[in-house]
Amino acid sequence: MTEPEHRAGSLSGPARRLDDLLPLIARGDERAYEALYDQAAGRVLGVVTRVLRDPAQSEEVMQEVLLEVWRTASRFDPALGSGTSWVMTLAHRRAVDRVRSERSHASRELRGAAAAHVIDHDQVAEAVEVSLDRERVRRCLATLTPLQAECVELAYFGGYTYREVGELLGVPTGTVKTRMRDGLIKLRDCLGYDGGVP
Amino acid sequence: MSSGDELHFVPDSQLHTLAGAYVLDAVTEAERAAFARHLADCSGCRHEIREFREAAAMLGAANQVKPRPELKASSLRGIRHTSQLAPLGDDGEAGPRPPTPGQPRPYGQASRRRRQLLARVTVAAAAFLIAAGGVVGALMHDQMQQLSQSQRQSRMIAQVLNAPDRTMLTAKVSSGGQATVVLSKRQRALVFTAHGLRSLPATQSYELWLMGPRGDRPAGMLAVQGGMAGPAVVSGLGAGDMIGVTVEPASGSAAPTSAPVVMIATAS
Repeated sequence: MTEPEHRAGSLSGPARRLDDLLPLIARGDERAYEALYDQAAGRVLGVVTRVLRDPAQSEEVMQEVLLEVWRTASRFDPALGSGTSWVMTLAHRRAVDRVRSERSHASRELRGAAAAHVIDHDQVAEAVEVSLDRERVRRCLATLTPLQAECVELAYFGGYTYREVGELLGVPTGTVKTRMRDGLIKLRDCLGYDGGVP
Repeated sequence: MSSGDELHFVPDSQLHTLAGAYVLDAVTEAERAAFARHLADCSGCRHEIREFREAAAMLGAANQVKPRPELKASSLRGIRHTSQLAPLGDDGEAGPRPPTPGQPRPYGQASRRRRQLLARVTVAAAAFLIAAGGVVGALMHDQMQQLSQSQRQSRMIAQVLNAPDRTMLTAKVSSGGQATVVLSKRQRALVFTAHGLRSLPATQSYELWLMGPRGDRPAGMLAVQGGMAGPAVVSGLGAGDMIGVTVEPASGSAAPTSAPVVMIATAS
């Protein structure tokens, strides 16, 4: 997976790839952790904020994710994917777990709705690093059909299960599953992942 | 809305179709575990998952948000109090090093408990609320130009689901299935969905009604796909109205011609 990580690593032009830092972190190297924090914290907070919207909760989850990286770095296996995707998978999963848990509390939903207004796109924009990668992702998302894009975005950024996406869009769940997979295939091809090097 | 996991559990033979949903974390805990087991036996799936993960990571990483500077110091403090998992195979044992007394509990334990709890949580219709708005907000400008009917509907749905006074009601459909309504009295509007509905012959269709002091008003025909109907948005909700569904000729009726298969009172 050296090639994909090389590309993913170009997101912010890091000095050291996460793939190299993670084995050091697994051995308790605090400086390696600091380097990982510098490279990955913005991306982790970015995806968590997209899912959770509430800035305070997003910071809390970002900290949990990075501590989980520290705690479980020995479980990172480069044969299964790049360091970036490993960290982003942890981040996304934890954000989704949190948002589903919060949604089960009606009172929290009210605050969530309020937060949704506070943290609208324009206000976030200042804090967001505009990058070529962002533009590339935007362009690639635009290659999806509207239904594929909706399915992928509702799931990835909304934290909904495919069944909930189906109910929300009034589309059979089988179709939703297919569109999610087709959408990811298009994204993969557009973003340049033509297959990992095992 | 979704009932418990066990009702919808995907049989093993269909697991491979979950690859996209799995990578997007759009599965339940039970499905996540089943799919992870499936991956162990399916090298093609592992390859696909690996590629999808890289793409999803790009999606997630594209909108970086700079953390407040003080968070870094607190993170660095945090690791000094957090024990690390030993590498697999260390001491011939896989698993966590026992945390020293006084140190925080490893995160895995707490989150496993939370996941078990989550697996039992029935996600309410109101759960649409944040992302229904979020997705519309997240659509790029050029995509906004080509908003499909369902996307436009998503926006109207989001308005009801985001209403501060929204209420969710569910009821059994007498002929089979369950109906869910989220309504906002202030917006005088509601969102109706149903699942598990019995399919009807081509000559018949489900019709939605507002029934109350102002009489019975047709509120739209419900297309059923895979037992599911809606979400349908209904405006013009009045005090004392009930929401009903009847089986009507496929072309619809101006007034109900059969007994409702479900009636939901909106008065609190």
